[in-house]
Amino acid sequence: MKNLHDVWQKRFLHYVTELQKYLKYVFTGHLAIVIVFVLGAGGYQYSEWLKTAPSNFPAIWLVAIIIGFLLTFSVSVTLLREPDQVYLLPLESKLMVFMKKALLWTFWSQLYLVILPFIIAIPLLRQVGDVQPLTLGFAFLFILLMKWWNVQVEFTFGWANGGQGVWGDRIVRLIVNIIVIVALFTIKPVYILLLSLPVIFYYVTWKRQMLGQPFPYEHFVKIEQNRMLRFYRFANYFTDVPHIRGSIHLRPWVSSFYRLVPFHQKNAQEFLVFRTFVRTDDTFYLWLRLTALSSLGAVFIDIPIVVMIFVAALAFASAIQIKQALSSSSEFRMDMLYPLHESARNLAILKVVRIVQFFQALIIFIALLVGGLEHTILYGLPIVVVLVSEVTLKMSK
Amino acid sequence: MNVLEVRAVTGGYTRKPVIHDLSFSIAPGELVGLIGLNGAGKSTTIKHIIGLMNPKDGEIRLNEVTMKENIDKYRSSFSYIPETPVLYDELTLREHLELTAMSYGLNQETLATRSEVLLKEFRMEKRLNWFPSHFSKGMRQKVMIMCAFLVNPSLYIIDEPFVGLDPLGIQSLLDQMNEKKKTGASVLMSTHILSTAERYCDRILLLHNGRIRAQGTMKDLRDAFNMPLATLDDLYIAMTKEQDHEELT
Repeated sequence: MKNLHDVWQKRFLHYVTELQKYLKYVFTGHLAIVIVFVLGAGGYQYSEWLKTAPSNFPAIWLVAIIIGFLLTFSVSVTLLREPDQVYLLPLESKLMVFMKKALLWTFWSQLYLVILPFIIAIPLLRQVGDVQPLTLGFAFLFILLMKWWNVQVEFTFGWANGGQGVWGDRIVRLIVNIIVIVALFTIKPVYILLLSLPVIFYYVTWKRQMLGQPFPYEHFVKIEQNRMLRFYRFANYFTDVPHIRGSIHLRPWVSSFYRLVPFHQKNAQEFLVFRTFVRTDDTFYLWLRLTALSSLGAVFIDIPIVVMIFVAALAFASAIQIKQALSSSSEFRMDMLYPLHESARNLAILKVVRIVQFFQALIIFIALLVGGLEHTILYGLPIVVVLVSEVTLKMSK
Repeated sequence: MNVLEVRAVTGGYTRKPVIHDLSFSIAPGELVGLIGLNGAGKSTTIKHIIGLMNPKDGEIRLNEVTMKENIDKYRSSFSYIPETPVLYDELTLREHLELTAMSYGLNQETLATRSEVLLKEFRMEKRLNWFPSHFSKGMRQKVMIMCAFLVNPSLYIIDEPFVGLDPLGIQSLLDQMNEKKKTGASVLMSTHILSTAERYCDRILLLHNGRIRAQGTMKDLRDAFNMPLATLDDLYIAMTKEQDHEELT
């Protein structure tokens, strides 16, 4: 058998090509545009807000909680597969050769998750939290160390406990992460070194427990499978990923809306497409997420032009992604044989997207009414949603 | 006037044809069996008839029209039961029936009366609000069968109907087919289960390597192979051996 070093190399290569294959679709698609607009709108609002931010704003705590959460998310990327439970068994004593590489990759590949928010938070910390540049540099290095600690503990704990109680460990780490970050900005470095002792001790304890335990393949294989499944689901919004079947729920509270489609031959495709949209978790929650995000933006962003861009970008994203998801046609469906007009399916998809986007506009409008409106021009937001959705449907293939 | 008319059809997935110069017809009220080994071209033949594949040569007429001439009439003339059930994960059993009825232009009263009979026949009345994910393979097959019979077309195209069905289900299907035959509907059924084919089919098409090797009633086939007492199994084995022999020489 080849050594584990080669196994890792091969796995990693395959993993990267798989990521590239689908990310190509994700980023050459509409997402890039949406990200630019949403980030632009968010960034502008943030910089405007900083100018007037109240001095008693709990900047340090907010940053600590957000980065603390992101640090805690350090799930091991082991690239293990189900057959490994059988085939790698004889190599268990040499498994760390493989795992060292895996954990190194886990660390580097997840680093952006904490570094980007930290960079974004720098102006906030400087201005509102009154943090000195030297402290910021020190904190940056320490956050890198904390990331490394989180990656190691997540893996070690999972191994030591056979995958049991991982959420308990995650909660402990979340609290530790938040405390350490708050301490970084508020107390003297000497005390932080003291604080490090129990943190190191926590890791060492589980490391000791881990030795002599059999490697819990099931736990780590499951993590891998879920991660890849999430990725494929995500990619499925942008292109057809074969063999991805989302879960289905009835959602009886939507049932009364089905009456919008009366029983008639010309409505057969609408009957089908409408239910597909409502009951497929992937498409329904996608729409719900974007609508909720849009409504929050409409209420909390207070510069009209920024709100407009933000809401428009999300309307564009939801219209195009729902259309894409409903149009996927890689498999044989019985309605391909029905005596219906060839364009019936596409027309039905357009109609359903129009209906759900109308509801998005309506929900944003209600949110505006409830949230209170400072600028009357924002009453135009629902029209923006409907217009952008319509143009998106017309312009997209 | 024949319900189905297949004239000199050649076709396949790539440039290399899978079926060659296929010609046969089905008259009203006839149950015709399409028999052949795996890879003989049964599914390809069916895919051409239902319009999922276009013939490279020849033409197919259903109720006297080709798909190009009148696609709606062509498609309304048949219903199809695939070998592996193809259901919508997001529709309940009731909605499968509703969607089928809507698509074929049935009104709600017809839907109600016909589905009541079918649901009872296939013992699925209690599962109307279930999603297909909760169905066994046999139940999924039953949903396909009920949708097909709901439409009441001139031709039923059924691919391997007996795989996955329990004995009661098989009997119900045969009863339904017989009943429809009496009203003048025709059935084209592909199967591996030769004893059933022998017993129920009015005529048999023996397909081998993409060509029709022999066709007719059991008597015609026995005469053609000169085996007066043979069963369909015997004839089939004789045919494949003969073919292999020809290929060797």
